[in-house]
Amino acid sequence: MSFIPGQPVTAVVQRIEILKLREGDNLILGFSIGGGIDQDPAQNPFSEDKTDKGIYVTRVSKGGPADVAGLMMGDKIMQVNGWDMTMVTHDQARKRLTKKSEDVVRLLVTRKSLQDAVRQSMMPR
Amino acid sequence: MEDYDMRSAASILASVKEQEARFERLTRALEEERRNVSLQLERANQPCGDRLPWQQVVMQEQSPSNQTSLAMMQEPQEVVEETVTIEEDPGTPTSHVSVVTSEDGTTRRTETKDNSANVKVTKMVKTVTTRTVRQLPLGPDGLPMPEGSSPMGSYTDSIDRRFMKNGDRFVTPQATSTLTRSYNNYNDSYGETPDSQYRHFALHDAYGDVADNYGSLSRGINYRPYRPYMAAGGYRMENSYTTLPIRKDDYGHMAQPQVPMGSSTVDLNRSQPERFQPEPYGLEDDRRSLGPDEEEPYDLEPDYSTANRRTLPGAGRTIREPLRDGPRVRGYDDPIEAELIDERHPYIPGMYSAPLAQPERGSMASLDRMGGRRSPSIDSIRKDPRWRDPDLPEVIAMLGHPIDPVKSNAAAYLQHLCYENDKIKKDVRQLKGIPVLVGLLDHPKAEVHRKACGALRNISYGKDNDNKVAIKNCDGIPALIRLLRKTNDMEVRELVTGTLWNLSSYEPLKMVIINHGLQTMTNEVIIPHSGWEPEPNEDSKPRDAEWTTVFKNTSGCLRNVSSDGAEARRRLRECDGLVDALLHALQSAVGKKDMDNKSVENCVCIMRNLSYHVHKEVPGAEKYQDPSSLQAPGSAGPQRKKKDDAGCFGGKKAKEEWFNQGRRNGENDKNYDTLDLPKRSEPTKGYELLYQPEVVRLYLSLLTESQNYNTLEAAAGALQNLSAGQWTWSNYIRATVRKEKGLPILVELLRSDSDKVVRAVAIALRNLSIDCRNKDLIGSYAMRDLVSNLPSGQQRPAKNLEEDTVVAILNTIHEIVTDSSENARSLITAQAIDKLVAINRTSQSARETKAASHILQTVWSYKELRNTLTKDGWSKTHFQPTASSAPKGSKSGKPGYDDITLPLMEKNQGDRGCGSGAMIPMDELGPDGYSTIDQRDKDCKYKTSDGSSDLMEREPLKNDTNRKHYIRSNRPAISLVDACDVKPQPVDSWV
Repeated sequence: MSFIPGQPVTAVVQRIEILKLREGDNLILGFSIGGGIDQDPAQNPFSEDKTDKGIYVTRVSKGGPADVAGLMMGDKIMQVNGWDMTMVTHDQARKRLTKKSEDVVRLLVTRKSLQDAVRQSMMPR
Repeated sequence: MEDYDMRSAASILASVKEQEARFERLTRALEEERRNVSLQLERANQPCGDRLPWQQVVMQEQSPSNQTSLAMMQEPQEVVEETVTIEEDPGTPTSHVSVVTSEDGTTRRTETKDNSANVKVTKMVKTVTTRTVRQLPLGPDGLPMPEGSSPMGSYTDSIDRRFMKNGDRFVTPQATSTLTRSYNNYNDSYGETPDSQYRHFALHDAYGDVADNYGSLSRGINYRPYRPYMAAGGYRMENSYTTLPIRKDDYGHMAQPQVPMGSSTVDLNRSQPERFQPEPYGLEDDRRSLGPDEEEPYDLEPDYSTANRRTLPGAGRTIREPLRDGPRVRGYDDPIEAELIDERHPYIPGMYSAPLAQPERGSMASLDRMGGRRSPSIDSIRKDPRWRDPDLPEVIAMLGHPIDPVKSNAAAYLQHLCYENDKIKKDVRQLKGIPVLVGLLDHPKAEVHRKACGALRNISYGKDNDNKVAIKNCDGIPALIRLLRKTNDMEVRELVTGTLWNLSSYEPLKMVIINHGLQTMTNEVIIPHSGWEPEPNEDSKPRDAEWTTVFKNTSGCLRNVSSDGAEARRRLRECDGLVDALLHALQSAVGKKDMDNKSVENCVCIMRNLSYHVHKEVPGAEKYQDPSSLQAPGSAGPQRKKKDDAGCFGGKKAKEEWFNQGRRNGENDKNYDTLDLPKRSEPTKGYELLYQPEVVRLYLSLLTESQNYNTLEAAAGALQNLSAGQWTWSNYIRATVRKEKGLPILVELLRSDSDKVVRAVAIALRNLSIDCRNKDLIGSYAMRDLVSNLPSGQQRPAKNLEEDTVVAILNTIHEIVTDSSENARSLITAQAIDKLVAINRTSQSARETKAASHILQTVWSYKELRNTLTKDGWSKTHFQPTASSAPKGSKSGKPGYDDITLPLMEKNQGDRGCGSGAMIPMDELGPDGYSTIDQRDKDCKYKTSDGSSDLMEREPLKNDTNRKHYIRSNRPAISLVDACDVKPQPVDSWV
C-alpha cells in the first residue's frame, strides 16, 4: 500500500456503507480517523509506509454503525462518497465524513488483510 | 447559576404565576385564620394595640422584598428579625410568631409576581407560613386583625384545633405527616374551592397529594411534634422556639461576611440578589423551614434546588473557592440539613434558654449588616436577654448530643463559625472539638457526617497548620477516606475531597494522605471523572473528562502531595490508573479546547511533578541510560568548557563544530530521525506514559491553547523535566518537541507576561538544546526573544522579571552559545553584549552577574568573533569577570548552575548528587519551584483575596491573546521547525 505522491495508486478496496446513527442532533458514524496530509505520518501506527499521509481508521466503537458495517481498525480510507481521501487534510476528511445532510456514508477502504489475501490468491501455486 | 436560574425561571414562569395566585389566596386565608385564632386565644392575654404595629412592619418589609426576588430567599432572616421586634410585647411570644406569618404571606405575593425564578422564594415563604401556623396554635397572638381580613375565622379555628390535636398526638410521627399532606392539598385546591378545602384540611380528608411547592409547609408542620416533645409549657417553649429560628437566620447572615449590606432597607433589598449567592446560610435558613422529611419537593422544584446549591456551597465551599462555587452539584441535601437545623431549635432553646449574651464575633457582624434592614428587630435581639447564641463550648458539647439533628446542627453552626475565622478555629481545636467532629465522620446519618465534614473543611482551611495536624492526629485522614469510599453523596464527596485538599497543603501530611488515600482517591474520583476506561476492550466511544468539583478538589490534593519528594512521586506513578486517567483527562481537555480551568491546571501540575526525575526514579531506568550520551551534553558541559579554555575549539569553523557535535550529540538525533521509537508490543500504561514521546503533543497543545498561566508553566515544566537527563526517552522527547514544531511554540511563550511561564520555558529550552539540532534552531530563532527578556543595565525591562527568571534565561543563553560560535554570533547580533556587560557590571544580584559573566567569557573564547566584537567597541576587559564575579577558574565548575539550584534544591538534594552536573540543576529548578508554587497557589486560592488574584490573571490573559496575534505576525517563522510544515494536530477525531 505504499504510494508515491502523484502516482496512481493500485489497491484492493472494499466498499463499506455506513448508516449514520442519529443521536440527538448528532450523526454518529462510530469510528475515529487519523492521518491526513497535515499530520505527521510517522505517528501513524497502522500504515506500512511511514510516509503515507492517508486517512486511517484508528478506532471503531463496538456495536456502532461503522462496526456493524464491517469497518475495521487500521483500514485506510480511500474515498468517501466518491471523494478522494488519500490527499486531504485531517479536517477535510472529517468534514467529508460528518456532513449533516448525509445519512449514509459510502467508503472505499483498503486494508492489509485484503492486500495479503489478494496477493496470496495471485501467487502462482 | 445565573443562567440556570434564568432558564428555569422562564420555563417555570407560567406555573409560578399560577401558584402565586393560589398562594396569595391561601396566604390571605391563612393570615386571616391566624388572626382570628390569635384573637380568640389572646383576648385573654394580650392587648390588641400591639398587634397593629406588627402588621405595619410586615407591610414595609414586603415592599422591599418585592423589589428583588432574591430578597425572598432571605425572608427567613427577616422573619426572625420581626420576631424580635415583637419582643417588645414581652408578655406574649406568640405574637411574634403571628407577625412572622403575616410578613411571609405578603412577601410571597409580591415576590412571586416579580420573578418566575422566584419559585424557590415562594416556597421559602411558604415555609415561613408554616412556622406561623405552628405558632398560631400555640400562641394566641393573632391580635393583628387590622389589615382587614375576610371572615375566615371559622376555618382558622378548625385548623388550629387540628394543630393542637397533632401536637397532642405528636408522639406518633404519622400524625405529623398527615398534617403536612393536608396542608399541601389545601394549598393546591385552595384556589378552586377555598372553603371546602379548608374544611377538608381540618378534617384531614385530603392527605394524598403533596404539592411540590408546598412541601415546605409540610415540613414545617412536621416540626410541631417537637414542641410537645420539648416542653409542656406552651408559650415559653414557643418563645424559645421562635428564638432558635432566629439564630439560624443569623447564621445565614453571618456566613456571608463578604457581602456588603446597605444600611437602608431599600438598599438591602436591592443588594440582596448579589448577596444572595455568596451567602450560603441565608438559603439554608430557608431550607430549614422546608421539611427534610419529604424529598419530593426537591425533585419537583428545580429552582429550589438551585437555590440550595448556592447556599450550601456557600457555606462549605465559599471558604475554599468563593468565586467558583456557582454550580452546585447537589442542592437537595441541603434542604434536608436545613430542616434538621430547625428541629434542633427546639432543643437548643430548651438547653440554652438562659439569658443570652451577644453573639460571638464575626458572625455577628453579619447581623449588624442585617440590622440595616430591620434595625429595630436586630436591636431588640441584642437587647433581649432571653436569646443568645450558644457559646463555643456549648456548641462543641452539642456535637455529642444524643440526638442526631442536634449534632448536625451543632456541626453546621461550627462550620459557619469557623468560616474565615482563625480565632474560632483555634478555639475549636483547643476545646477538643476536632476529634469529635472527626468521630462524626463515621456517623451513619448523612446530615451528621456531612455537616461534620463541612466544619472540618473550614477548620482545615488556612495557614494555621496546627488545625490540620489536629485533624490528622485523631485519624481524621483515614476517616475522611473511609467516608469518601462509603458515600455516594456528591456534596459529601466534595466536602471530603475539599478537606483533603486543604490538608494536603501542609508538608508533613502529604505522605499520610498518600498512604491512606491515594488509591481510593484515584479509584473513586480521578478515574471515573477523567473518562478513562481501564478496560480498553470495551471500544465504546471514549468519554470526556468531567470537570466536577470533586475532581478539581481531588486533583488539587494530588497536586499538592505530588510535590513531596521522590517517594511521593514514586507512589503516585505506581498508583494504578492514575497516570492513565490524568493523561486521558488532559487529552480530553485538549480535544474539547477546554483547558483553562483549575482541574486541567491541577492535572498538568501533577504530570509535571511526576515527570520530574523520571530518568532516575523510574524502575528500570538504568536500562535506558544512554551510554553514548554520558559523555555528551549534560556532563559534557564542563568538558566542553575545559576544551574551550584550552582553546582547542576556539578557532573552529562552524562546520567543524557542527561535525563534532554531530558526532557527540547528534547521533541520538539521527538515530531518532531515521529510527523509530522502540516498538511496543503492548500498549503503554501507567507511569511509562509519562515519558512517551506522545505526551509532547499533549503538552504542546496545552502550551498553544491554554490561557492559564499556571497550566502554561506546568506544561513547559513538564517538557523541561522530560527533556532533562541522559536516557533514551529524553533523547526522544527532545527530538519529538522539534518534530512536533514545539520550539516555535516555546519561543513564543518567552514573550509571555508571566514571569514563571518565561522561566519555565527558558529552562525547557535549555534542556532541549542538549539536542544539537535543537540548539542550532534555538540559537537562530530564540535568541532575540531570550535577550529581550534581559534587563538592560539597571533599568529593568517592562516585564521586570524576577531574579530567578533572569538567571534562568542567562543560563539558557550560556547553554546555547556553548560549543556553537554560530549561536554566539547570533547572540551578538541580538545586541546582547550590551545587556550582558551591563548585568555583569551593575547587577545587584550575584547570581545574575555570575551567569552573565559566564556567557561573556564563552563568547570571548570564540576567536573568530573577536574581530566583530572589537569593531563594536568591546575589549577584552568587558568579557573578563569583574572583581565581584566568580573567578575564571570556577567557570568550569559550573558555579552558575549551582547557584540557581541551591535555593530551590533543599529537599531533593539527595536525589541529584550523581550524574550529569549541568543538567540536574535545571531539573531541580523546575519541580521544586513548582511544588512551592503549588502551595502558594493553594493558599491564595482559599483566601478571600482569591477573587482578586483571579482577576489579575484574567487580565493578563486578554493581553496574552493579543500578544499571540501580534507575535504570530512577526514571529521567527516556521523555520524553527525542523523540516516539515506540518502542524501538530490531534491525532484522530471521532466521526
